[in-house]
Amino acid sequence: MSVEFSEKALEQLRELLGHYPDRQAAVIPALHLAQEEFGYITQEVEDYVAKLLEIPATDVHQVFTFYTMFRDRPVGKYHIKVCESVACHIMGSTNVLDYLRKKLGIDVGQTTPDGRFTLTTVECLGACEMAPMMQVNDDFYGPLDEKKLDEILESLE
Amino acid sequence: MPTLKIDGKEVWVEPGTNVLEAAKKLGIEIPHYCYHPALKVAGSCRMCLVEIEGMPKLQISCHTKAADGMVVWTNTEKVRKARQAVLEFLLVDHPLDCPVCDQAGECYLQIYYMEHGLYKSRLRENKIKKEKAKPIGKHIILDQERCILCSRCVRFTREVTKTFELGIFNRGNRSVVDLYPGISELQNRYQGNLADICPVGALTDRNFRFQTRVWYLQQAKSICPGCSRGCNIEVDYNISREYKAGGRRIPRIRPRHNPKVNGYWMCDDGRYGYKYVDALDRILLPRRLDEGEPVELSWPAAYTMAADLLSEATKEGADKVGVLLSAKMTNEELFAARKLFSSLGVSRIGFRVEPKEPGYEDDLLIKADKNPNTKGAELLELGLGAGKSDVSALLDAAEAGEVDTVVIFNEDLSKSSEAERAEAVLPKLGRVIYVGTNWNATAAKADLVLPMATFVEQEGTFTNFEGRVQRFWKAVEPLGESRTGLSILAGLATALGLEPVSENAEEVFAELAEQVPAFFRGSATRNLVSTGNWLRARLGRR
Ligand code: SF4
Ligand code: SF4
Ligand code: FES
Repeated sequence: MSVEFSEKALEQLRELLGHYPDRQAAVIPALHLAQEEFGYITQEVEDYVAKLLEIPATDVHQVFTFYTMFRDRPVGKYHIKVCESVACHIMGSTNVLDYLRKKLGIDVGQTTPDGRFTLTTVECLGACEMAPMMQVNDDFYGPLDEKKLDEILESLE
Repeated sequence: MPTLKIDGKEVWVEPGTNVLEAAKKLGIEIPHYCYHPALKVAGSCRMCLVEIEGMPKLQISCHTKAADGMVVWTNTEKVRKARQAVLEFLLVDHPLDCPVCDQAGECYLQIYYMEHGLYKSRLRENKIKKEKAKPIGKHIILDQERCILCSRCVRFTREVTKTFELGIFNRGNRSVVDLYPGISELQNRYQGNLADICPVGALTDRNFRFQTRVWYLQQAKSICPGCSRGCNIEVDYNISREYKAGGRRIPRIRPRHNPKVNGYWMCDDGRYGYKYVDALDRILLPRRLDEGEPVELSWPAAYTMAADLLSEATKEGADKVGVLLSAKMTNEELFAARKLFSSLGVSRIGFRVEPKEPGYEDDLLIKADKNPNTKGAELLELGLGAGKSDVSALLDAAEAGEVDTVVIFNEDLSKSSEAERAEAVLPKLGRVIYVGTNWNATAAKADLVLPMATFVEQEGTFTNFEGRVQRFWKAVEPLGESRTGLSILAGLATALGLEPVSENAEEVFAELAEQVPAFFRGSATRNLVSTGNWLRARLGRR
């Protein structure tokens, strides 16, 4: 993988930098950009971001490892994040997770062999009114039951 | 100037001083972990909480500026409870390593637990496992389980060395201090300080690891002889348990705070460069060469032989003798040597030895001149005229047949820029006397070798590159039969029938201060005795 932002991403970064008092403050959005560009963050990517921001790579790594939404490995085409926090738990997130495990044939943290689905769990996504809920890529789904899950998975191609 | 009251006592401080420092001024020690006076305030450990009247909650004293009229209480029931709670949190995942941890005895978890903790463990869960005994640099080992995440080490690499090797990665109870994954080890020349500033046993010194318990150590105030900075140091020595540290009497040295010279720090070259003092190649007995065969001598015999060699030489003319002193010697030794050899009529007294390669230098502490006392030698007006190398001048004179006897003090010429020429010329000379601490190529070929004490085995003063005269004290006795430079000079003076030389460094310093205008105005001796720390050479400053 050649680690370099596209012209578009570079443009976005320049724009971003204008929003912050110093470059250190732009690490999170810059990492989001990088994740969009490259799919996940390797050490090469961290070094590249550090160079772009002109800050020590250690500072990028501190932020990267702190936030769970940054990934250090590739995910499937659809990244399913099942909320396991209190509200969703009470409303049956365990069943949701069990059903997805069985249906996709993978465990939490794994990706289907065809590369389509990755299953992970997350803490509260702030959508308790939809409990039990999950996020697939950028979209929220809920409340979930087995029928709803079948429909959603079928709609994802 | 803000004036405030701490535990009922009034104190005034400079504006901007924090409450923790203000309390220190009153002799009140507020427990703390993350705060270090030489680093930016992090305010993360919460150990330094105090009660301030008018404020509803406890405040961290490291990050609260002292204000006029402030009333602070550092030891109320509320404060003590808070401290205990902070400690309990810090110790939740702390391993029970004390019996095998080098920090034990000077660990602030132990110290504060005994002072402020003393609760029964309520922990029923398993402790989190992290990486242990991970070498992260040439001199430092990291134990992540012992770390309390105070971030002192991280700030040190950011603010002091500006090398940014360390960070705190992950979060919550999985947080760890570690090297940035892109590098394999620490890249700065000041690593040893990390072990000093880590308040617990998470960063330990590989040189000191498992050598001895700290409570067997005694301290002597000293000066690092590693370069012309003259960092103030503490020599930690152990003479009560000889079997510790593989028989090394000095298991470690540490920086001693001096804001005018080295702050809280010292470099690794200096910190680990002292090992020659306990090395196996120390010269332990006087020795002469008899047809190339080494013969050990008693001191009286050695003095007699030295006196004979020198008298023979001066009979042919005092010009025939060249003396190479060393900028590693103390002001007192240099002064006494100058006096002794001048009274023999010798005028070729040099000290400048140019190294093979120029020394490393940076803009933090390390100086290119690897001698602690070049300035002192210059102030004593030693040296063979202009030029970088007195060795070259002496060798020139020897090659021209003007000099046939040399006395070399503690300089291995095979390490100098004149190594090859010295190797060719020295053996052709009539008489070579070597006075030094450790065996080397130059000592090996000398007709007479006198064993000298190292800096930890004597007291004296060095003048650093800025002209600060700094005193150091003796830690241990000279090894074997070695003697201090002053003692050797005194012996020689007696054997030669010259005016006696005192073996007492304080007396010699007093005489030096009298006679050498560059040194001090006025009450030099009294200053030397009372402050014993550092004084300022005159150096054109008024
Ligand atoms: S390793 Fe030591 S200095 Fe560094 S954060 Fe941990 S406890 Fe503090
Ligand atoms: S900077 Fe010089 S004086 Fe200071 S510790 Fe290093 S070698 Fe010793
Ligand atoms: S010393 Fe004040 S918060 Fe750590």
